[in-house]
Amino acid sequence: MAWLTATGRYLWCGWGSLASLFLFLALWEYAAQHFGPLILPTPGEAFGTLAELFSSGAAWPEILVTARRALLGYGLALSLGSLLGLLVGLSVTASVLARPIVTLLVGTPPVAWLILALLWFGAGDGTPVFTVFIACFPIVFVGAMQGTRTLDGQLQAVAQMFGLPWWMKLADVYFPHVVSYLFPGWITALGTAWKVVVMAELLATSDGVGAALAVTRSHLDTAASMAWIVALVGSLLAIEYLLLEPIKRKIESWRTFA
Amino acid sequence: MSFHFSRIFSASTPLWFCPFRPFFLFAAAQGALAMAAWLGMLTGLLPLPKVAGGAIVWHAHEMLFGFAMAALAGFLLTAVPEFTGQPPMPRRRLQWLVALWLAGRLAFACAGTLAAWLAALCDLVLLSMLIGSIAGPLWRQPDRRHIAFVYALLALLFTHSGFYFALLAGDDAMPWLRLAIGVLMALIIVALSRISMRLINDILAAQGTETAPYLARPPRRALAIFAIAAYSVGEFLLPGNAVAGWLALAAASAIANLLNDWHIGRALCQRWVLIPYLIYVCMALGYALIGVGRLSGMEATSAGEHLLVVGALGLAILVVMAVAGSIHSGWGLDHRGWLPLAAGLLCLATVLRALAEWPAAVIAENGLAASALIWFAAWLIYLANAVRILAGPRPDGKQACDETHQGNC
Repeated sequence: MAWLTATGRYLWCGWGSLASLFLFLALWEYAAQHFGPLILPTPGEAFGTLAELFSSGAAWPEILVTARRALLGYGLALSLGSLLGLLVGLSVTASVLARPIVTLLVGTPPVAWLILALLWFGAGDGTPVFTVFIACFPIVFVGAMQGTRTLDGQLQAVAQMFGLPWWMKLADVYFPHVVSYLFPGWITALGTAWKVVVMAELLATSDGVGAALAVTRSHLDTAASMAWIVALVGSLLAIEYLLLEPIKRKIESWRTFA
Repeated sequence: MSFHFSRIFSASTPLWFCPFRPFFLFAAAQGALAMAAWLGMLTGLLPLPKVAGGAIVWHAHEMLFGFAMAALAGFLLTAVPEFTGQPPMPRRRLQWLVALWLAGRLAFACAGTLAAWLAALCDLVLLSMLIGSIAGPLWRQPDRRHIAFVYALLALLFTHSGFYFALLAGDDAMPWLRLAIGVLMALIIVALSRISMRLINDILAAQGTETAPYLARPPRRALAIFAIAAYSVGEFLLPGNAVAGWLALAAASAIANLLNDWHIGRALCQRWVLIPYLIYVCMALGYALIGVGRLSGMEATSAGEHLLVVGALGLAILVVMAVAGSIHSGWGLDHRGWLPLAAGLLCLATVLRALAEWPAAVIAENGLAASALIWFAAWLIYLANAVRILAGPRPDGKQACDETHQGNC
């Protein structure tokens, strides 16, 4: 019951965000009326085109393909990045060693990885999946590493003194702390995955949302382009605010008491 | 006859004890009478008035700048001295203000173009004097925490002047009245936050509940006022445009966001909390209806605006007059059943009025009349219960605006 109330409260707080989104749509509408439909379609036209894409069934296959690639790359980055990051964080030497490499990975633009991936994997699923993986990996890795590096030694000592069993130490001492570092990394990485996969598809594949965007661009169909962009951004917002943020609140609820 | 007159105008008559007394009385009377006249015109019993701008302008202007203005003047002239710790205004000056308001109503009702000048003069001087009375004390307060009232009144003066300029120039004056609705909605938010902070926390304290105290959070309020202003200006500059539709949705969302402050558990079911809550609900629904109608091509602006003025403004005036009226006349909060009844009637009138715009409505014709009739009944109920409080002596025999500390009647 308390959980339900909290969820209701959280959802109701969304009105504030909606208000600012609507203000943004008003600006978009004004700009669209000013510049004309070839430069910028109105929000109504973009939403209408999007609804058409969905009702005609043209959108789903592309979205599924893109989602598969993004989630595959993201899942790889998540598991490998978290695992390696946690392990490396246990050792100071390993952390010092890892830092320049991570900087190197973060600093390399995704487009550069995309070119390499094209050379290595050709024009198939491998290219976008790899690009997503390599773009997300350092973000997750750094979060995980920080998580284990900053574990509270005193808490550890207290747990030791009270003779907590290992699984309790893991669940109640280490896990909440580590997750509070991991989670922001995961969320940032998800956003990155969604953006990078579209870019990779735009340049490297013949199917998926990115490829669909390339087609609309070549047809000078601005309304359809905007429709795809709206679908991308909308799904990202929905995943972040309806899925990840509530989980984050749930997991980090200990912080309000700490 | 002259004896009666001198008795009414004698400064020691209870009616002049405090500014809210005459103004609330006249506001409720105007709310009932102007609507009765409108009902008569709708049903064809009365001829349409030969006023500048036409019958609809008369109706809208008298409800906004007659009815609502009187309630606003009564509230501010009572509340501002209380906020600032100053004595209430001299009774002669109060009588002048009331006379100006009355003259404005008469002049507007008789307005061919000639008398419209007179109405403009009376109304604008009244509003300027109102601003003059409250601006100084609010400005001199160290932290100027209530200065938003002055800005809102200045905006109201601007829109009212614009209205009369348009009217006298023979232009369409309705856009200015629409703008005034926006200003009044912002004023409701400003005023209600002050009233509800005290009222609701008193109730929560009396119940001994352990929920967090009610807080009207300023950033949320500022966002709502900003969004309302954005819509009002947008609709004024680009009437009928989809831009204003999005802005109306933004306003609706920002007002719904205000309700976050109000979700305080079971105390919400108390009338002193529920009625203000319903004000915001009506306001949010009104803007939402305007926005959705505009963007879907099924124009519902009039229905939405009536949700704002019948629902939000009507309920706000009712609850403010009921609370401030009985507290500052020494009677304490009025817990009798007429208030929920009148508020319920206003809600019903709101729903009917909005439904009357429905395209294929059987109730289209009857809905307008039924809504007007119910509104009329609600204000009659208020008058029947408030006349004794507003025009009668205080139970403690004092002659001031003091609040009661004796508990509830």
